[in-house]
This record gives sequence, structure tokens and C-alpha cells, in this order.
Amino acid sequence: MNLAAALARAFGPVVADGSDPRAVAGVLAWLLPPRRTPVALRRRAAQVAERDGGRPAEVLAAVVGAPDPALGDTLVDLAHRWRTLGVRVAVVGDPAYPARLAAGWPLLDAPALLAWRGTLPAARPTVAVVGARRATGYGTGIAAWLAEAASGAGVSVVSGGALGVDAAAHAAALEGPGATTVVLGCGHGIVYPRPHARAGGLFDRIVEHGGALVSELLPWQPPIPAHVRARNRVVAGLADAVVVVEGGERSGSLLTAGVAVERGLPVLAVPGDVRAPGSSAPHRLLSEGAAPCTGPADLLAAVGGAPTGDALAPAGQVPVDDGGLPPEVRAVLVAAWPRPVPLELLARRSRQPTGLLLAAVTRARVCGVLAEGPDGLRLRRAPTPEVRARLDSTTPGENAGRHGDPSGMPEERG
Amino acid sequence: MSAEGQVLAVSHSIAMVGLEPCAVRVECSLGPGLPGLRLVGLPDLALRESVERVRTAVKQQGLHWPGGQRTVVNLAPADLPKSGSGFDLPIAVAVLAATGQVPHEVLDRVWSVGELGLDGQLRAVPGVLPVAAGARHAGAGSLLVAPSAAPEAALVDGLTVVAVRDLREVVEVLRGRSCGTPARPAPVVVPQVGHDLADVRGQPVARRALEIAAAGRHHLLLAGPPGCGKTMLARRLHGLLPPLQVGAALEVAAIHSLAAQRRPDEALSLVPPLREPHHTVSVAGLVGGGSGIPRPGELSLAHHGLLLLDELLETPRVILDALRQPLERGEVVLTRARQQVRYPCEVLLVAATNPCPCGYLGSPTRACRCRPDRIERYRSRLSGPLLDRLDLHLEVSPIDREQLLGPPDGEPTATVAGRVVAARAAAAERWGEDAGNRDVEVARLRATAKPGALRTLAQAVEGLALSARAFDRALRVARTIADLGGRSAIDPADVEEALAYRLADLAVAP
Repeated sequence: MNLAAALARAFGPVVADGSDPRAVAGVLAWLLPPRRTPVALRRRAAQVAERDGGRPAEVLAAVVGAPDPALGDTLVDLAHRWRTLGVRVAVVGDPAYPARLAAGWPLLDAPALLAWRGTLPAARPTVAVVGARRATGYGTGIAAWLAEAASGAGVSVVSGGALGVDAAAHAAALEGPGATTVVLGCGHGIVYPRPHARAGGLFDRIVEHGGALVSELLPWQPPIPAHVRARNRVVAGLADAVVVVEGGERSGSLLTAGVAVERGLPVLAVPGDVRAPGSSAPHRLLSEGAAPCTGPADLLAAVGGAPTGDALAPAGQVPVDDGGLPPEVRAVLVAAWPRPVPLELLARRSRQPTGLLLAAVTRARVCGVLAEGPDGLRLRRAPTPEVRARLDSTTPGENAGRHGDPSGMPEERG
Repeated sequence: MSAEGQVLAVSHSIAMVGLEPCAVRVECSLGPGLPGLRLVGLPDLALRESVERVRTAVKQQGLHWPGGQRTVVNLAPADLPKSGSGFDLPIAVAVLAATGQVPHEVLDRVWSVGELGLDGQLRAVPGVLPVAAGARHAGAGSLLVAPSAAPEAALVDGLTVVAVRDLREVVEVLRGRSCGTPARPAPVVVPQVGHDLADVRGQPVARRALEIAAAGRHHLLLAGPPGCGKTMLARRLHGLLPPLQVGAALEVAAIHSLAAQRRPDEALSLVPPLREPHHTVSVAGLVGGGSGIPRPGELSLAHHGLLLLDELLETPRVILDALRQPLERGEVVLTRARQQVRYPCEVLLVAATNPCPCGYLGSPTRACRCRPDRIERYRSRLSGPLLDRLDLHLEVSPIDREQLLGPPDGEPTATVAGRVVAARAAAAERWGEDAGNRDVEVARLRATAKPGALRTLAQAVEGLALSARAFDRALRVARTIADLGGRSAIDPADVEEALAYRLADLAVAP
């Protein structure tokens, strides 16, 4: 039986350009449960590299050796699974494997094997926008603002694909020319998180838009906490800078920030409401020396050389101040931005006939001016200073809701 | 009165199979044989015991009981299961006729229903209203009932209802010596607005949704944290429903009478029923059921009215599934081994739910403590066929101090109800009596929309990634919005407003 030929045939269509099917199959065989984990693989590789030196491919080959013939069928089956899912695979050191992530391996942690769907980000600046799943409207609003500005400036956005801040960042990045990359906490083929991974969901749209879904796991491996946490090192490894938007005391985004520090990347944190539990992660980072991120300019400056100025203003292709929204409605939304405004509050503050208001809101949502979340409605794009100035001069302050917090926190009103 | 010394007498009454009245001949034959009374014709337990009640009552009243002869009472049609104590009186009348104590001839016209006490007094049985309607339909001229049941029975037009106190009075009436107490129909109660919309502070979107729901009979889903006023809003919606027509009110009263949910001397109410079963209600309690002839459940008790289901997501799946078909058909079909019973349930459903397991998602006053994936799982229970029947989705947020202390700022129920009546009239004129905006075929619905409106809808469905079902739903709601605005064709703005009554999708956060 010619195992090598069978593996080459099975893995040929699955591996990325420039990768060696046999090397991929070898690493895969080594990783197959119940044998060893990616952590063990890296530790062995680090030992080998320290002792003998050599390029990653040589180190890998020295560690994994030839695949066990008994695993032949399993490996072929795996290759088929990936193939049907439209997944490409490469091992560290391959030309298709992201150079940023491979840098420093095996001393710096990176997956020995990477499987992805879609197109991996080219060698352009990339930012990681990360934060809590249980995000507030403020958190998702800021994440969307940062990600969209980055994407508009041609900067890729990478994040963890979770609900909340991650999803806000990914979805907003789709609005601009920059691609976005999701690092999954489970294998390809597992529908998780369900709302994003189901057919036609966020993940499909990301792939269509030229982005990628990346996973170091095998197709059946579930999103257990260990996998989800390990994914954070890949998020940081793919980025040139990490910004933490919102997160609790034990947020996974602290892990991402930690890896970023290890890799010498700039870490930014978005200041939040000091009373909100979701602010503890960014505030802790700030106190430990992270740079405050007060807008896209800070973020883009951190990745260096990215265009500023025009690119920071909301992109021009969608009209900034209409989408059919009556000026009174717009004023309330601008004043609240980036916090969302609950629909009832919007109806009351804007004093519009309810039917007309609801029709206008739907129209604005359809043409992408407004976004809707569980907390209410929010302008998708940051209002420019000119828009703010114009509204301040034309609408009464009370209508604009500037004297109260339109998110409706009662204690802020007295 | 037939050959071989046999005597035969027949009286008439009505057996109810669900809401369907069924004429029953009560035949009594006296003849030689072992003395005793035998009851045949599928009587249930309560009915079998009737023999003892009837015998004692007849004797107590000083009337003659055929002691020395063999007496057979047959309830025809013999294969129809009969239940309850309402046959006491017709059985007694048949026996009295067979023994010659009352004339036979009048019994074709004078029917009877009622339970007998051992002393011979007559008592009311539940469900006399549908019985009376059935008797009139089957050709009865008058109906003998207990005095307490008379006002309810007298609600039926074209039937003389005679209230009789005891068996002796029955004999007098049947012999033509007395005409009993002619019954006066129960008074008709016109609804008074109890819960006024003017009490609702702020919440303009909720008000508007209630108006649309009332006008188009669109099922409504209310999602909001505990204490935000979901029940309060549902009660206001009840106040917006137009008063019932007398025919509909009779149908409602008949169902309530059958379920022993109304007193027989109660006034006929034109107020649409409002039922609020607790979420631990059983399937039988909700759709109807029980041993013997299935009884109507909450769904049917809310017929022509409003059914409020609180804590929809805490309600077991079986219950939600049991709701689906009746909501679609407007009637409950309960099939048992021996019979099939149908109860109407043309209801307006208001379902209320917390937005997430802890209840505080989106609440401005308290933080939600749920993990996002749990919220997602919780909400996913909402999806599917039942949610598709709920045309309007509304997120209710608690009102804040500012509004609570402010003056009432909205229209009162009377004003809004006027628009609701006008919109319903417009829909009735367009579709005819047997369809509404909620259930008319989509093709007919589309024909009343401007091309621009359909284009807008298609774009929105595409842009907001909605399902094909959402398309139909929005069109139905848009039709009602146009009716409320007095527009004969659906405008694009109507469609856009209709699309706003949807729950925020959790899937795409930004």
C-alpha cells in the first residue's frame, strides 16, 4: 500500500499553494487526538529548534516524523471533510501561512497548522478589534466605528467572530474595502456561534467580501473554553495592533492583549463608563500602560503609515445626513451616538408622528444608515463634526437630547 | 300506545356534542314484565343516575309512578353518547306522558331540559343557551327550563321559554292549565371602557401597534422586561376591540355556558372576552378536552375576544404546538374515539415574553445577566411556525420617571376605537365578511398594493435579510395601516412602517 501517494492525492487539493501535502498530513497525523496537543507540538518544536536550529519546515519535520500508516484512512477522510467545506490548509513556514503569525515560531506561540476558508489577509496593516460578547450599545457602537474607519482606510480587521464587540467589528469592516478575518474557536464545519455561522450569516458574508475564517482546529472540534481561549493568541498574531473595546475582569480580550505585548505589538484600550462592569478590562489595560483609543485616528496611527484625514471621516459613499431620516430624528441619534436610542425614546424625543417615524426608520435601515440592536437604533457612521455643528445651530438643544442621556439611564437625568 | 298492551310516549330534548346541538327523542315504553326502569341509548354515569332522581321526584310531587310495570326509556339516536343531568326533565315528562298524566300531543312542540332534585324541583344545567338555540333550530315551539336558566335560554329568538319551578308545575303547563312563567331574556350589556389608553404614558410606538392589532386582528408579540407594562398594554388592546354583534355575543355566551363559565341569569355581554390563562395551563385547559364530551378550553373561551399568553417562552413546547392549528383554522377540533367536537376560536392572540432568560436585556435600568448564547437559544424557541402567526412584534421598554410624573399625553380609547371601527369596516367592505387582513390570501392582498409598495417591500426584505414569511406578514400589517389611514391602496410608507414592528435581530449586532 502506498500511503504517501494516497495522502498526496487526498491532500493535494486541500493544501494551499506552495504547501507540501505530505508535510501537512504529517503534522495533522501528529495532532490527531488522542495523541498530542498543539501546545505539546510547539514545546517539542521549541526544544528541537533550540538544539538544532533550522527553518520551521525542518523543525516541524524533525518533530512529527512520518505519519503512522494506521492513521491513513482517518487522514484521507479529514482531507475530504476540509475539501467539501472549501477549506485550505497550510503549516507554519509555508508561503501561504501568514508571515506575521509565523514570525518567532516556535518561541512565540502559533498554530503549527492553519485551516481557513476564504482569502487570508494580504501583507497589509491589520488591526485586531476585540471585546466582550456581552457588550453594551456603546461597545458595539465604538467597535463598529473603529472597524469601519479601519476598513475604509484599507486596513484589515481581525477578531474572534463572537457575538457582541467582535461581530460589530466584523460587520462594520464589511462596509469598507478592507477585508476582515475571523479566528474561530472551533473547527470548520461546526455552526458556532450559530447566528453568525448559519448559511447566509455574517461568516458567509465575510468570505464573500474577500475575508477569511481561520481555525487551527480539526473539523469536528467543538468550541470548548480551552479552544476559544487559545484562539486569542491567533487573533493577536495576525494583527499589527490590538484594541480592546469592552470586557469584564476576566475577559478573553486580556489574553489577546497579553499576547500582543509578548509580540511587541501596540495595545490600545477604549475608555469606558467607569461604573460599567464591561469597562474593567480596558481600564486595567490603560492603567498598565496601554494607549487610550479615542477614535479611529489613534488606532490607525498605531498601525503606522495608514492614511489619515479623509479616511477617518465617515466614508463618502453613503449619504451622511439623510437616508430619509427627518432632521429631528437625526438630531436625537447624532446626540446619542455611539449609544443606541430605544425606539420609543426616539419617537418621543423627535416628536414625529409614530407612523412616519417608523417608516423613516425602516427606510434608513434598509439603506444602511441605521443599525438596530437589542438596545435600540444607532447611526452606522460617526457623525462628522460638521454634521454636529449644523445640527447644534439648527435644532433646539432639548430636542437633540444633549441635556439628558438618550440611552435613558434615569440616574443620569436628575 | 301500540300493540300487546305496550304504551309508548315520546318527549324531546337536546344533547350537546361540543357546541353542536343534536335533537334527542326520549321514548318511554310501559309494558308487562319485571317491574323497574331501564335506561338505554348510551347514557353516561350522571345520566344513568337520573333514573333514581326521576323516580323519587315524581313520587315526591305526588304524581303516579308506574311501579308495577316494566318501563324502558330510550334516548334516540341510540348511538350518540349522551351525558349530564339535563335529561332528567324530558325523561320524567316521557314517563308522565306514558302513564297518561300529561297529554302526548303537546310534546312535539314543547321540549324540555333540566335536572331534577329529589324533591321534584327543577335545576338549571350548564349550557342551556346552545340547547335552546338547538331546540329552536330543530323545530321546538317552546322550551321548559328551570327558572334560573330561563333568562339565558330566552336570549334565543323565536322560542318561547317557559320557566317552571317543579314537576307539578310542568304537569300544569303541559295540561294547558297554566302557562308557567314566561321568561324574559337577560339584559344586554354594552361594553364600558375599563382600561383606557389615556393611562398609557409615552410609548407612542406601543400605542400605534395596539391600534393596528385591534384594527387588523393581528396577533401581537410583546417583548420586554418584567414590570414594563406588557399586561397593561394587552388590557388596553382589549378595550380597543369593537363591541360584539349580538350573534357573536350569543356564540360567546354559548361557549361560556357550556364550560359553566357564566351564570344562567347573567346579562348577555357585548364585551369581547379576555382570557389570561397562566403559563402552566395544560393542553386540555388551553385547547379544550377532558373525558366524555370534550369541553372548550381557554382558546375557545376567548372566541371573538382576546387571549393573553404571558411568559410565552416559559410555556412548554407542546402547548405552543397545540396552539398553532387552531389559530390558523379559527376552530379547535377535538377528536375522540366516538366523536369529533369542534369549538370555534376566532381569537386575537397577544403573547408576552421576557426578552431574555433574566428578563432585563435592553432594559435601561438594570443590566442583563444572561450570556449571549443563552439569549440566542432562548430566542430561538420563539422562531418557527408560531412566531410566523404573530404579525406584530413589539419591544416594550419600561417608562421612566420623567414620563410617569408627566401629564397623560396620548389619545383616549374612544378616539382610537373610532379609527379601529372605521378600518375594520373598510376591510370588511373590501374582502367580504369571511376574511380579514390577517387571513386573506396574499394574492388578493398584493392586488391592493401600489407597485412601488411591493418594490419597497422586496428591497427591504433583501436589505434586512428577512424571510419570505416576513414579506407576507409585513404586507398584511401594511394593509391594516393603510385602512387606518383611509387609503384604498397600500403606499410604500405603509410597508415601511409595517416592517418596523419586528424584534431586533440578535444575529447581526451592529
